[in-house]
Amino acid sequence: MSDRTENLLLILPGLLLLALAFFLPIFQMLALSVAGPDGPTLAHFARFLGDPYYLGILWRTVRLSLIITAICAIIGFPLAYIMARVGPRLRLWLIVIVILPLMTSVVVRTFGWMVLLSRSGLVPELLRDLGLVRRNFSLMQTETAIIIGMVQVLLPFMALSILGVITRIDPRLEEAARTMGCSFLQTLRTVILPLALPGIVAGSLLAFTLSASSFVTPSLLGGSRIEVLAASIYSSVTQTLDWPFAAAQAVILFVGVILVLIPYMKVTGRSHG
Amino acid sequence: MKSAFKTTILGVSAIALTAGAALAQDKTLTINSFGGAYEEAHKKCIITPFEQETGAKVQIVTAYSADAFAQLRAQKDAPQFDVIHFSGGQEIVGAAEGLLAPIDAAKLSNAGDLYDFAKANLAKGEGPAYSIAAIGLVYNSEKSPKAPTSWKDLLDPAIGEHLVLTDISNGYGMLGFLMLNQVQGGDLANIQPGLDTVKKLIDAGAVVVSKSPEIQQEFAQNDAWVAPYASDYAYTLRKAGLPAKFVQGSEGTPASYITASLVANRPNTDLALKFIDMSISPAAQTCFADALRYTPTNSKAELSPEVAADVAYGEDSVKGLIRFDPKVIEANRAAWVEAWKKTIAQ
Repeated sequence: MSDRTENLLLILPGLLLLALAFFLPIFQMLALSVAGPDGPTLAHFARFLGDPYYLGILWRTVRLSLIITAICAIIGFPLAYIMARVGPRLRLWLIVIVILPLMTSVVVRTFGWMVLLSRSGLVPELLRDLGLVRRNFSLMQTETAIIIGMVQVLLPFMALSILGVITRIDPRLEEAARTMGCSFLQTLRTVILPLALPGIVAGSLLAFTLSASSFVTPSLLGGSRIEVLAASIYSSVTQTLDWPFAAAQAVILFVGVILVLIPYMKVTGRSHG
Repeated sequence: MKSAFKTTILGVSAIALTAGAALAQDKTLTINSFGGAYEEAHKKCIITPFEQETGAKVQIVTAYSADAFAQLRAQKDAPQFDVIHFSGGQEIVGAAEGLLAPIDAAKLSNAGDLYDFAKANLAKGEGPAYSIAAIGLVYNSEKSPKAPTSWKDLLDPAIGEHLVLTDISNGYGMLGFLMLNQVQGGDLANIQPGLDTVKKLIDAGAVVVSKSPEIQQEFAQNDAWVAPYASDYAYTLRKAGLPAKFVQGSEGTPASYITASLVANRPNTDLALKFIDMSISPAAQTCFADALRYTPTNSKAELSPEVAADVAYGEDSVKGLIRFDPKVIEANRAAWVEAWKKTIAQ
């Protein structure tokens, strides 16, 4: 058996799985999204794109995903840097702490936030005691709640992506920068940050795509009044039973994610060959 | 789990049928029930007493209304259910499609005691309503400064952010909304007054939830005072230790009828009628009201004062019951849900 056929055999199960579990449903979804009573139609897309309500949902989804991604990057970069530079024992513990939330179900974590953020929960109660907010202040069912919950869910993806890159940066580069007269922050900005950029970009992509398509956390923390695209798809499927419209919304989300991925592939393709 | 259960039951009934025991066959009745606490009460109040009295065996298939109706339609040529229970008005469509058999009121010994609305279309095939989920105002009797008495009270600015509304993708939420719409001058052809009112309530701070457990959460943790919802849920809240009470709005009480219909083209008609007769008996209805706080439809059902306080009870109370046409609701559901979502979006 030649190398080629061996490789082919090895890759076959993966390809089969991909074809059955990914491409087949995607094609079905594409077909469904243009299905109409009398042949193919773009009416479902027109309905979405012509309605300020649905455009608002799309904009909210994109806007929240960008904010969540940015916050994850701002918290994740220093965290990853510290994790990369401390001793191995401490690093292990830090990694465990970062990964630990991934071991519980997202629903459980979200319920934790619901308890903390509700009107009589710990956080609003504290803010009220400090006299910072009015009597009935609640963080539940706000976009802020969604952002807080999603950042916690997605931070591990960001921190671990950046960590992988930073650990490969030679510490002597930093030492060189310091001896050349850079302050610590200057070193961070001019040496570490540019070198860690591929990790930040990879982590941002993960965080963005995951948060754009997330459904459980936004619907539990945001409530039915703050709808994101994934929740809108869900209600079209289960409540109004309008599957073609749900498929059209899914295609719009899918295309949006692809549009984000393409520039990334271009950028990383250039720098890593 | 549930489907495994269902399969087991279907399997068991298949064995029972193919065993060729002719006696067992005409002594066996297949019905649907709604699972959970409902099915437990169903067994205790109707099924077990029925089996004891007639010596027949009752096979229960757990299926909600829409599901049961889909099965009934699929089995058009060889129906498997003898008696079928609906809560969403499916019996109207079923009767019109000829899936359900007309019932001769003379064959039901308890039919005479039923309120008129509960037996209105027996001759058409729409089975009698044997209990009713009434939608009124569930309120916190300790924190609410005054007990609400009418649907208009929901507009009281004092309630403001202590009001909980339920999404109309939920069946009870839909009925409560349609009632609010009616009180504000709308009807089934025009839900705009209702939407405008909801918008006003939300701007005043009302909370919108989509599932019933969230109502409990709002009452327990978020200082909710009032929620338009079903009578049985006030009881659920009280069992959870919350000071919840139920009151009917003075303008009327939208209701969800739970009906027992006779399936057409089945051999055991007499036994099935006996089962239906038992469902509408005072004893069964009293038992149902005790267990779950549903409103009885038999005028002879005697409730203890404690139970009566939780439901719509007595001639005058049930007069206020309103049934929004299930066919119209079904036809407009998708459009209404979309309009509702646009109204509540922030």
